[in-house]
Amino acid sequence: MAWIWLVLAGLFEMTGVIMINQLHRRRDIWSALGLAAGFGLSFVCLALAMRTLPMGTAYAVWTGIGASGGAIVGILWFKESADWRRILFIIIILVSTVGLKLVS
Amino acid sequence: MTKEWLKIIIAAAFEVVWVIGLKHADDVLSWIVTIIAIVISFYALIAAGKYLPVGTVYAVFVGLGTAGTVLSEILFFDEPVDIVKLLLIGTLLIGVIGLKLVTSNEEKKQEVEG
Repeated sequence: MAWIWLVLAGLFEMTGVIMINQLHRRRDIWSALGLAAGFGLSFVCLALAMRTLPMGTAYAVWTGIGASGGAIVGILWFKESADWRRILFIIIILVSTVGLKLVS
Repeated sequence: MTKEWLKIIIAAAFEVVWVIGLKHADDVLSWIVTIIAIVISFYALIAAGKYLPVGTVYAVFVGLGTAGTVLSEILFFDEPVDIVKLLLIGTLLIGVIGLKLVTSNEEKKQEVEG
């Protein structure tokens, strides 16, 4: 269950980051609310995940999901570059995350 | 320039404080400290990104934050040292830092081309 909370925390973090971009573009109250809700829910889920998972592992995976997820969303929806180095680093993050899940 | 790097170090230090808070806070006061640490950490991070390349700022910040949380749980909270786990956290960190550095270079390139 802790790993589900952790993945949710990473997804909400991504939502928060996407809303930061929206806020820069639109400057409306909905983007600001989305930003606050995204990060708020992300921290709640991270705290729940940390009830059983070690702090360092949970933090590293949370950051990793946020970074790789943000890049994947950028490539799929915002036409960001799908440079091979970006793909390689995303794979390294995902493989490390799965490895951490297996050893914990 | 030195002042900007100082902001990243402050951001990372408060990052470690709020991560510890999320795991160990158990009363109103410690939750208030945790929330204040979140605000200071993000504020310092955003402030540092104003004059330094954001990808670089984020990469250094994440590196310090991860090292800080892993070290503090071993030093202060008696977490056992597991070599395989530390190695995997290391490779994950390489992935995040690499991704952020590559992305910041691309942003610069696009600015020049655009």
